[in-house]
Amino acid sequence: MRLIVWPGMDLVIAMLLGLAAGMVIHFVLSLALAPLLGIFETMIPGSLVGMYGGMLFGMRDSMAAGSRTLSAAVLVGAIFGAIVVAGVKVYGRVLRGAALDAGR
Amino acid sequence: MEATIDRDTQRKWDAASRTLDFFSYAEDRRLGPHKRRLFEKIKGATLLVAAGTGNDFKFLPPNKKIVSIDISPKMLERAAKKAATYSGTVELHEMDVCDLRFPDAVFDTVLTVCTFCSVPKPIAGLRELHRVLKPDGQLLMFEHVRSGIGPLGVLMDLMTPITVRFGPALNRDTVGNVQKAGFRLHRVENIHLDVVKAIEARKDSYV
Repeated sequence: MRLIVWPGMDLVIAMLLGLAAGMVIHFVLSLALAPLLGIFETMIPGSLVGMYGGMLFGMRDSMAAGSRTLSAAVLVGAIFGAIVVAGVKVYGRVLRGAALDAGR
Repeated sequence: MEATIDRDTQRKWDAASRTLDFFSYAEDRRLGPHKRRLFEKIKGATLLVAAGTGNDFKFLPPNKKIVSIDISPKMLERAAKKAATYSGTVELHEMDVCDLRFPDAVFDTVLTVCTFCSVPKPIAGLRELHRVLKPDGQLLMFEHVRSGIGPLGVLMDLMTPITVRFGPALNRDTVGNVQKAGFRLHRVENIHLDVVKAIEARKDSYV
């Protein structure tokens, strides 16, 4: 992210760049993992992590509030990703089932 | 009059036929039981819209007589091989769902699987399905639609201009389109979040 966003960059530009980078990365990763995990299983959490995560991380790096080392950045990203995936799984269970049933 | 085919859509799905089985491998295993449960409801003369590469034939109940269409001849070439292994019969035709070469009211069931994310004029296609269904006939759909979850729906809107270049639209309101085409909703079931849905609708007998 720091290749395209640096401390002091305009916050809005940083967020848009983060969103664009997240979108590209999520597309590539989702297509690569889809045959193994399923297109919906990868695309939905992947898009949330990539695009909203990209915006947040772009904003964070522009404020010089990012992780100091690569391993710390990977850890933060992994925690963010795990929370999003868990949230999608839990919400999926909540929503599963009949949304409309005229027969009942 | 000869039926028309949307050539742009045909070219897109001809190209996608090469990789469809590869990309849908895991999805078939994950969603297969849900498809099988929906397909068990088919009865009478049945039209399967968008055969694709024939991946869904294995989820059909055994020994049925199915008529199936697809806009892509390349998809149909692959589907023919899988149709040969089905215990019943699958009769394949190259056809655009927006211009079906079937008379009015000939089918008891119309089945669609991930179809109306890809039809450029979904309401026109659904109206054609309404026309070929008999009164009281049923429409069974296994489709992905735009999510009603705010942040996810926005993402689907943003991604759709890209995905339609090589595949489906992600932001279709298929449940709403089914109603706009004149069907009465009978059952809507969420399979994966509120994105993948099993939709059951009826053509009213007084139409």
